[in-house]
Amino acid sequence: MKKVMIGNHAVSWGVLRSRVEVISAYPITPQTQIVEALSDMVADGSLPARYIKVESEHSAMAACIGASVTGTRTFTATSSQGLALMHEMLHWAAGGRHPVVMANVNRAMAPGWNIWTDQNDSLSQRDTGWIQLYCETNQEVFDTTIQAFKLAETVDLPVMLLLDAFFLSHTSEPVDVTDQADVDRFLSRREAAYKMDTKDPHAFGALVRPDVYTEIRWQQQEAMDEARDVFRRVEDDWEAITGRRYGAVEAYRTEDADLLLVTSGTITSTARHVVDERRAGGDKVGLIKVKMFRPFPTDELRALLGGVDRVAVLDRNISPGHGGIFAEEIRSALYDVPPEDRPILFGYVLGLGGRDVTPVVIDDIIENTRTKARPEREDLWVGVEL
Amino acid sequence: MSERDVTRPRESGRQIPPVAISETSTLVNQTGSWKYIMPRYQDGVAPCNAGCPVGIDIEGYMYLIGRGRLQDAADLLVRENPMPAVTGRVCHHPCEDSCNRASMDEAVAIHSVERRLGDMILAAPPPPAPERTRTETVAVIGSGPAGLSCACFLARFGYGVTVFEAAPEAGGMLRLGIPEYRLPRAILDRQIERIEAEGIEIRISTCIGTDVPWAVLNGFGAVFVAPGAHMGKDSRIEGAEGLPEIRPGLDFLKEVNAGGRPDLGDHVIVVGGGNTAMDCARSALRLGADATVLYRRTPREMPAIPQEARETKEEGVEFEFLATPTAVELEDGEFVGITCQRMELGPPDDSGRRRPVPIEGDVFSMKADTVLTAIGEDCDLSFLPDEVRTNWGLVEVEALGESTSAPVFAGGDAVDMPRSVADALGAGKRAAIGIDHFLRQKAGEDVGEVPLDDLRFAGGNVSAMRYAKDEDPIPREAPVNDVVTWDQMNPHHYRSAPRHEDHFHAGIDLRSAFGETNFGLSRKEAIEEAERCLNCGVCNRCELCLIFCPDMAISRREDGGFEIDMRYCKGCGLCAAECPRGAIVMTREGI
Repeated sequence: MKKVMIGNHAVSWGVLRSRVEVISAYPITPQTQIVEALSDMVADGSLPARYIKVESEHSAMAACIGASVTGTRTFTATSSQGLALMHEMLHWAAGGRHPVVMANVNRAMAPGWNIWTDQNDSLSQRDTGWIQLYCETNQEVFDTTIQAFKLAETVDLPVMLLLDAFFLSHTSEPVDVTDQADVDRFLSRREAAYKMDTKDPHAFGALVRPDVYTEIRWQQQEAMDEARDVFRRVEDDWEAITGRRYGAVEAYRTEDADLLLVTSGTITSTARHVVDERRAGGDKVGLIKVKMFRPFPTDELRALLGGVDRVAVLDRNISPGHGGIFAEEIRSALYDVPPEDRPILFGYVLGLGGRDVTPVVIDDIIENTRTKARPEREDLWVGVEL
Repeated sequence: MSERDVTRPRESGRQIPPVAISETSTLVNQTGSWKYIMPRYQDGVAPCNAGCPVGIDIEGYMYLIGRGRLQDAADLLVRENPMPAVTGRVCHHPCEDSCNRASMDEAVAIHSVERRLGDMILAAPPPPAPERTRTETVAVIGSGPAGLSCACFLARFGYGVTVFEAAPEAGGMLRLGIPEYRLPRAILDRQIERIEAEGIEIRISTCIGTDVPWAVLNGFGAVFVAPGAHMGKDSRIEGAEGLPEIRPGLDFLKEVNAGGRPDLGDHVIVVGGGNTAMDCARSALRLGADATVLYRRTPREMPAIPQEARETKEEGVEFEFLATPTAVELEDGEFVGITCQRMELGPPDDSGRRRPVPIEGDVFSMKADTVLTAIGEDCDLSFLPDEVRTNWGLVEVEALGESTSAPVFAGGDAVDMPRSVADALGAGKRAAIGIDHFLRQKAGEDVGEVPLDDLRFAGGNVSAMRYAKDEDPIPREAPVNDVVTWDQMNPHHYRSAPRHEDHFHAGIDLRSAFGETNFGLSRKEAIEEAERCLNCGVCNRCELCLIFCPDMAISRREDGGFEIDMRYCKGCGLCAAECPRGAIVMTREGI
């Protein structure tokens, strides 16, 4: 069934199809439509779930964790300041191995107050232990929402799926809504290995001494490692049913390329267009889309970027005092590539707070990357006018 | 590989789960040992119950309606109030003034719910008369609300009761004083029939002291005196004596209420600010006259029930405040109106209301065809033997109606100030308890003292059910006889909901229309209104304590109540703080 819908409702439909049992959320622009639609679905009975209203995002995540520990499938959505307010609970969800799925609509952090897109909200939560999946289209949002539950519940880690404010959240696209029966074949009821049982009560998240704490963290890291493979299998299963797959990393027209753009989110679509035009003009330029940020697809990126002359990473985010966050992570990954195969990496910072990244901007970046011998600095800010 | 390869995970045989989960059951951690205070379920008394002059478990019947048990609710109501269809219409409902819900949005429309239950009771056949278990009989003088209440409860206590009524029909002031548009005769008749069906004999047209001597009462074990207050106070208008145009309002009401339709002319002045004055003015309207109420104080001091005053005004009655009639005005020997003295409010009198004092020289005339005086009524107590002491026109009584001369008891308007139907019903109930206790004592039973404080709803009127030790249909947890106030409750769990207001007639020409003006609430509305009741002080099984207990120490009992596992209750007090009804208290007792 194809429906035209905004990205936010693609999330809602994914949640509906995933037969989520508990939803707890607090409204925030530009996320609110996700949970509005879900509350309607719960109210009219089409989604037989418990919708818990709360007074803050911190409480929303706490409620999801509480529900998850009883073995239920849980979901929440937030954005920007709301995600920041959840910070403590994000650690709790991941450390407690609760497979909560959350949609975060990427919105710039205040101040200055801003409701438009960039990735600093979610990238600030890099080290909380959540799997992060960045989406490019509404179809991908729908598909990834359903995949996220299977991934999360297989490795017992929480998953954050990300979509750009307005460019996806409020933009309508046709979405092929997979039939419930097909989704049911893909995603069965959650079976939790550890769950709260009032007849045999145990403490969850209780004191862990130094002699055990490291071992628990190690197992969390093993689960993150495992998540790379599990995601591949999840995509296999989904592709078998729907014919669609995206990959943790996607290589677009990378054959023979001597220059590769690296993007995430909706900038990718614009970059595809520029790559097509350049290719038509004989320019050997390609594109790498990074969907999975945690666990970081180190091996894939080394394989794809190693041996290429030049790489331009487009970061819609900034780690102040360092640089674009994807660029820094990729630089780190390429350290183990033999020096002769190591590309020259240009890290561009652009599109902050929702500023448009147009084909012309990307074209200029390609031009800059081709013509400069080396980048003047690790963070190359695009379009700054003072 | 080196033995010192520190980065290789080693198999130590330890079983370490992937999550921080306790190895042992948390049941071993008996957090109850931490507490220094502990919760206790303790049901209190809702303020409506304490505020009801009849002594009705209002909260109790609301609780039962909330559970869909309408018949049980009606049964509970009628156990404490023998005429709910009447009080639902004419009571001044002080219960609503004390309703805690008013602190949140609006008081529950208790009278509307009572009326609906009362009508439901009237629509059903009466239950069998209570069993006659006592040999003694009791005489009741007067079949008004006090007399019928006393008679009804005495019949339920097992006595034979004979009611003596001077008028040709039973009902006392309910019939004679309250107009039909407030209390339809069909309702009153059915209500009285129902009370008679409890095994009471009513002898109409039998006035003690006139038709039959006081001595006729000698064969009865006790006498309850409730003759009412039937003599209008003297208006003290100069020149009024002998003028038919100036007449006591109560006489006028009696005439109209008996079916008379006197010609009052075009302009009627009603003197007074009480309910009788309102009834006179509204009845005068219905006879085709214009009516003006003349009251010597301001609206603030009017003793009429505010709702009655409001309806009177809405029907088109004029009000002239701060004025009092002083003399009649004649033209060619014909009555044309009255001279009025303008007043102002001086310092407060004994009643706490500011006393009206004349403004020197400020005098004016008002035209009128008829003046109805309604400035209060006195009792005719001339039939009483001398041993029954009276004081300022009222019979002197103790708490349970005991007069100065056993076995005479008294109640109703003959003892009570202020006078109301509810106070009369309450006095009748108290006297029934007093008489039962008196007769049992006389029969040699070891009955001790009447535990009056325990019988009262937290200082309000007495409960006949408590006195008779009847089974309470509502499960109570360790009940205490204290009112639960709003500050003891948790308002945050309640949702605001507007009060259902009675439906009033609209667009009916009032002239000559004596039909009921207030249609009350529909059954559905009444149930919704009952569901607005907060059940103050009483556990209604809302389960919030169970949900909020962080130790899961609270569980349901088989009987629907809750129990607290004190091995795990750590005394945090969340249950007591969250309880919307104040039905959980924290105590040091038992630690």
